[in-house]
Amino acid sequence: MCDTCGCGVPGKAVSFRKHGEDHHHHGDGHTHSHDHDHPHDHTHDHRHDRTIAVEQDILGENNLLAQRNRGYFEAKNIFSINLVSSPGSGKTTLLEKTLTALKDTECAVIEGDQQTMNDADRVAATGVPVLQINTGNGCHLDADMIHTAYRELQLKNDSILFIENVGNLVCPALFDLGEDKRVVVISVTEGDDKPAKYPTIFDQADICIINKIDLLPYVQFDVEKCKQHALQVNHHLEFFELSATTGEGMDTWLKWLKDQISK
Amino acid sequence: MHEMSIAMNIVDIACKEAEKEGAPSISIIELDVGKLAGVMIDSLKFCYDSVCKGTLAENSKLLINEIVGRGQCIKCGSEFDIDSFMAICPTCESYEVEITQGRELKLKAVTVNE
Repeated sequence: MCDTCGCGVPGKAVSFRKHGEDHHHHGDGHTHSHDHDHPHDHTHDHRHDRTIAVEQDILGENNLLAQRNRGYFEAKNIFSINLVSSPGSGKTTLLEKTLTALKDTECAVIEGDQQTMNDADRVAATGVPVLQINTGNGCHLDADMIHTAYRELQLKNDSILFIENVGNLVCPALFDLGEDKRVVVISVTEGDDKPAKYPTIFDQADICIINKIDLLPYVQFDVEKCKQHALQVNHHLEFFELSATTGEGMDTWLKWLKDQISK
Repeated sequence: MHEMSIAMNIVDIACKEAEKEGAPSISIIELDVGKLAGVMIDSLKFCYDSVCKGTLAENSKLLINEIVGRGQCIKCGSEFDIDSFMAICPTCESYEVEITQGRELKLKAVTVNE
């Protein structure tokens, strides 16, 4: 039973809401149930064990669904970005500023948070279509949630899809959503050793945005040291240093985004 | 805690295999987990026990083979064991190391009762 509303949807307590909708609703049955209630109270007096070779990737189902999403995005020429970071790194502000600057480009946003419509409301104020996923107690988005969300959003061809993952520097690392690029955002108020402390998420990212650089004079954050740590984890990482609040460095980021869709 | 989702996937896959075989219960689930897979073994074991309740895998044993990390230096080609993503080549001290082993997260085998 769903523990958000008490309805009969098994398994997850995930809800999907567009900006302005009062009631949450669940996925359309594409979620995989984890209920395996098979009572077996008969006795086994002469039990024999038999080992079955399985050799399956534990995240195989998510990876398969992610590939389905990837194929959909590719067919519609949608460039998709999965934004991951700790809570409070400025992902939503970065999105607001990015969407405002990309007025001439078709964009859509999927927001992921445990609770509230706050981020979807902020994005909706820019005029861009947005869908909020509330994961309940879930600590990350998965490929199946993204599939349900983009079907609701009815994405346009030749557009950019931004997915703002649940603020968490650990769990989202393992879950492929089918995105083209994974972008990890770190803010200068967090400490320059974050890539060393939370390497998995940096290992799986393509881009690292160092945000809030306008605060550098007030904090002990060495940008070069942070980049060095991140490159030690993942030498393929590309960096953008910017302040979404003041606009410093945003041009390079926006140019990169535009280059991706014109490819 | 993503280990909960992972534990659910493990029990889900194992139960499907056991059902296919018509087995009444599962006694052992065997995994390969790389040291760089991003999974905390203790958390996984904790979640596993609670996820198993009421399934064919109730009271089953979780057997985890930990796979050591291996890396190969892009600059000089040497291969070596690594225990973190911040690996340095012991030969040429380069940080440009490709991880060749240690990300495994695989359900290897299920032992069922007959």
